[in-house]
Amino acid sequence: MDNLCMENLCRERIYQLDARTALVGLLYTIVIDTFIALFLTLTGIFPTTDTVTVKTFVIMFAISQGYGISTWMVIIFLFWACKPKKEASHVFIVLIGIACGILLGSLMRNFILQQIFPTHIWEWQKTLLRTIVICLTSAGVICYFLYTKRRFKVGKEMMQQERISRLSSEKQALEANLKLLQAQIEPHFLFNTLSNILSLLDTDLGKGQAMLMDLTRYLRTSLSKTRGRTTTLGQEMEMLQVYLDIFKIRMEDRLHYRIEVPKSIKGLPFPPLLIQPLVENAIKHGIEPKVEGGTITIRARKNGGVLRLEIADTGAGLPEDGTTGFGLSNVRERLKSLYGDSGRLILEENRPSGLKAIIEVPYVPD
Amino acid sequence: MSRIRAIIADDEEQLRKYLRSQLAEVWPDLTICGEARNGQEALALIEQYRPEIAFLDIRMPGLSGIEVAKKIAGSCWVVFVTAYDQYAVEAFEHEAIDYLLKPVTHERLERTIKRLREQIAPSHKPLPEVSEIVERLMARLSQRQTQQFLQFVRAQQGDGIRLIPVEEVYYFKASDKYTLVITKDGESIIRKPVKELADELDSQKFWRIHRGTIVNVQCVAQVSRSVTGRGVVRLKGRPESLVISRQYIHLFKQM
Repeated sequence: MDNLCMENLCRERIYQLDARTALVGLLYTIVIDTFIALFLTLTGIFPTTDTVTVKTFVIMFAISQGYGISTWMVIIFLFWACKPKKEASHVFIVLIGIACGILLGSLMRNFILQQIFPTHIWEWQKTLLRTIVICLTSAGVICYFLYTKRRFKVGKEMMQQERISRLSSEKQALEANLKLLQAQIEPHFLFNTLSNILSLLDTDLGKGQAMLMDLTRYLRTSLSKTRGRTTTLGQEMEMLQVYLDIFKIRMEDRLHYRIEVPKSIKGLPFPPLLIQPLVENAIKHGIEPKVEGGTITIRARKNGGVLRLEIADTGAGLPEDGTTGFGLSNVRERLKSLYGDSGRLILEENRPSGLKAIIEVPYVPD
Repeated sequence: MSRIRAIIADDEEQLRKYLRSQLAEVWPDLTICGEARNGQEALALIEQYRPEIAFLDIRMPGLSGIEVAKKIAGSCWVVFVTAYDQYAVEAFEHEAIDYLLKPVTHERLERTIKRLREQIAPSHKPLPEVSEIVERLMARLSQRQTQQFLQFVRAQQGDGIRLIPVEEVYYFKASDKYTLVITKDGESIIRKPVKELADELDSQKFWRIHRGTIVNVQCVAQVSRSVTGRGVVRLKGRPESLVISRQYIHLFKQM
């Protein structure tokens, strides 16, 4: 998708005629016209004076420039007026430019010659074929030069841009990984859990040990997952259960949770820690701030080619003014990098209270 | 001298128990006259018992520890307890307010208690400027932590209410009594008028370009002048273009 876009952009840029290219082209035209004038003077293809003198060259020079500059001016004008996009229309514009240039140049030639040799009758039709051949050749050479030069320059720019985008995407991937790592061992969670374990070791040894085991399992699975690319939906749910169990010990009756995932879809591949931040949000912004606590329900189901996950809480919900940030951009960025435009994160108000986060991702049925 | 009394407020029971047992070891003379599970309970306990010391967890349902401290306005010594809060701890250091980090260690608790004893001994009265300190603290924390701008809009969709993050919105457009919200997925309707939105959104990211239009700057592809000389915004990924009224054209002049 991006590549296609880039290519189009590149094409457009090659064909665009900016002021710089127009000036360079004019310079080329003048130089090449000078050579043509010299060539014609020396070979006498268009005889003007009887003997070859400086005067012959000056006349030839003026005539050649008349052809060349008028051709180039017409081309510049047409590019400016039509802003063509396709390659074919560029060739067309150049041909029209040459035709107009021949007409204008011939008129100028006749005018110049008439001034110098008033008695002579100049029949420009006789030399028309020669004129056309010379014009086409020189215009072709100039256009070819300009085109390849510009193409080379745009190509270089493209390469540079590609390098930048590659480097920045590598950087983004690294940052995303770091954020993931921070997300799963959020310090507040870690220290509060450790305090709980310390306390339980005094008061309820068995429970304390159980919590320590839960924490160990949670840390081990989530840390190993940061490195792996995919896990299964079932494994992901087991990890969330351990995570919620830890909170259950800490918050006791204030937290209830349900995980409703059909057995048939537990084997589906699923990116690690994609929904963990949503569960964390449900606790942090939903259940924790609410005095009486609430219930978190995690549901998954497949529907056609779409896997839909719901994380609903009956907690405090969004404050009325809607100014709280939830750090959902992280989840959204991951969805985008994993699924492009086919992954979605939707947030809804839950009834009668709380929030519901929905993730929809495509999956490939076996 | 009567015994010094304290309350403990934390939403997690184990953490209350733990602090209580730690205090019993380090300061056996201290009487814990009550435990609170949330901000309101803490407030009620303080009013009821008038303790000398309150150990307040910062993150509590209802009222936060800092809000409780503000409400009691210096009627007792406050020690904040937190698991991890970089900004808060920085702010405490700055304001020389006592705090404990969870899990609470013996050494740290002893230091805090030593200080509390020194402060309480001579006059039995907490410093009067405590409320001022808390107020400065809150200002500092709200500056650092909370976002002041609108992050979500509520839109009716089907029979539910969808929360649309503002960064997903291409533009807002006034339409009769309602406001249209245009996103990748289509249009939704919200009740908040464009004028109100303009005040609540981050003006760095959302520009009002017309009396009835606010555009997400991220979604602007190009700005040009139409044949009639009016400014026109072309969007990324949307076919329509939006008209800029003369009143707001200056926004684009500096670019």
